[in-house]
Amino acid sequence: MKKLSVAVAICCALATSNASAEVRINGFASIVGGKSLDNNQPIYGYDDDISFKNESVFALQLTADLQEKLTATAQIVARGENDFDADFEWAYLTYEFTDELQLSAGKMRVPFYRYSDFLDVGYTYRWVRPPQSVYNLPFSTYEGLSLFHTTQLGDWDSTLQVIYGSFDDNIAVVSVNGDTELNDIAGLNWTLSYDWFSARAAYFIAETTIDIENDTAEGMALNGLEQALRNSGFVDQANSIAIDEDDGAFLALGFSIDYNNILFDAEYTQFEVDNSALAKQTQYYTSLGYRMDEWLVHLTYENNDDKHDSNRYDALTAVPELNLGINTVLEGSKAKSNVYTIGARYDFHPMAALKVDFSRLEDDITNTETDVVAVGVDLVF
Amino acid sequence: MKKLILASMLTLCSSAVFAEVAVIVNPANTNTVSQDDIKKIYLGKSKSFADGTKITPVNQNANAIADEFNDKLVGKSSSQLNAYWSKLVFTGKGTPPNKLDNDQAVIDFVATNADAIGYIDSAKASDKVKVVGKY
Repeated sequence: MKKLSVAVAICCALATSNASAEVRINGFASIVGGKSLDNNQPIYGYDDDISFKNESVFALQLTADLQEKLTATAQIVARGENDFDADFEWAYLTYEFTDELQLSAGKMRVPFYRYSDFLDVGYTYRWVRPPQSVYNLPFSTYEGLSLFHTTQLGDWDSTLQVIYGSFDDNIAVVSVNGDTELNDIAGLNWTLSYDWFSARAAYFIAETTIDIENDTAEGMALNGLEQALRNSGFVDQANSIAIDEDDGAFLALGFSIDYNNILFDAEYTQFEVDNSALAKQTQYYTSLGYRMDEWLVHLTYENNDDKHDSNRYDALTAVPELNLGINTVLEGSKAKSNVYTIGARYDFHPMAALKVDFSRLEDDITNTETDVVAVGVDLVF
Repeated sequence: MKKLILASMLTLCSSAVFAEVAVIVNPANTNTVSQDDIKKIYLGKSKSFADGTKITPVNQNANAIADEFNDKLVGKSSSQLNAYWSKLVFTGKGTPPNKLDNDQAVIDFVATNADAIGYIDSAKASDKVKVVGKY
């Protein structure tokens, strides 16, 4: 509640502080109802009771043109999963040097994925939610700088974004929670597009520290092992479990096609924090869509494979108990799953779309199948 | 008789559906504006005329001539266009052109703003504005 009143106060200040500044208000919302179709197998935040709250989002954006070439933008997002507490997810200043070059400073989103920048604006894509096997990093914003350059190379449009900044918050990582600090986040995001075709590559690095909490069995096991290794004098092995100022690297490649009424998207991502208990993650999805006037139907296949290199195992054969502990932790961070989604979108209104998605998640580690269905309305205003 | 009615209905329909769109600028504007330029201007990809003047484009508000323009020159349906602009608006990378209600409002705006560009039903064109293309 406090957060909301602060948000409202800042908005009012933004809206009235300068009578000569033009302030634009835009917004978007998604109201989504869904449920898991399997007892006791929660998926994407749903259990087997219908929830209209879990994936619903309501947001307002205020943009103030302060003067020639300078704008201030704030986006206040209320998520159902956070009890609709309003939060500033974007708050930044932008200076436009030329038509082609602009610099932004403040709180923004890391452009990990093709749809990152407008992840919450469901109206801009075909699914109820973008493929979660790929869109799975537990944080999305950072505080820092973003340099954005657009140019035309013949018939091709090139957009290059370079970012630098940091992130500091408590987040859930795989099956543990931890105070996460990312320093020196740096990287670039390049998109090249030609009318119906676009290709994208992104690469980011960050010095990663996660202070894992003892609030889950996995968290306790991890911390216990690290402590045992350290107490026994195996500092290198302890360091290879701890996530402490380790180099994190993220790579994304993708392309998309929107030709006549056929849509095709594919994205591949890879994420690794060197010398830590976090497994190397590899994910991709391919998605085919077909548009018939106001209707769009789509099919998507996702694949996730997280594992450690085999040379990380048996790091301490001299002490069988600790060796087993290390192997167990490495093995425990493995993940392997597929998701199939079939869905439809109906543009029943110029500013609103109705969507329904059915997804089946196959977990190859636990050998389980979980089905989830969701229906939602996305709008922009 | 039936055929005649059908024929006249068809003519009526086609004239309503295929209104000719005229793209207009201020009479003082001497830049040439190609079909490709128009598309780029209305997708926010071109922000200045050839002589370097910042462009102020105006749209029409969800009416038949807007649909015609979007279909013929921009090549997107109104839903696709809304999705396109949403991507730019909510990432601070662009602002869609302002919307005016009808041809007359566009003519008045373009006639009084040297950096403006707009589109109208070509039958409504007057000497207050300069037509740079008919589509």
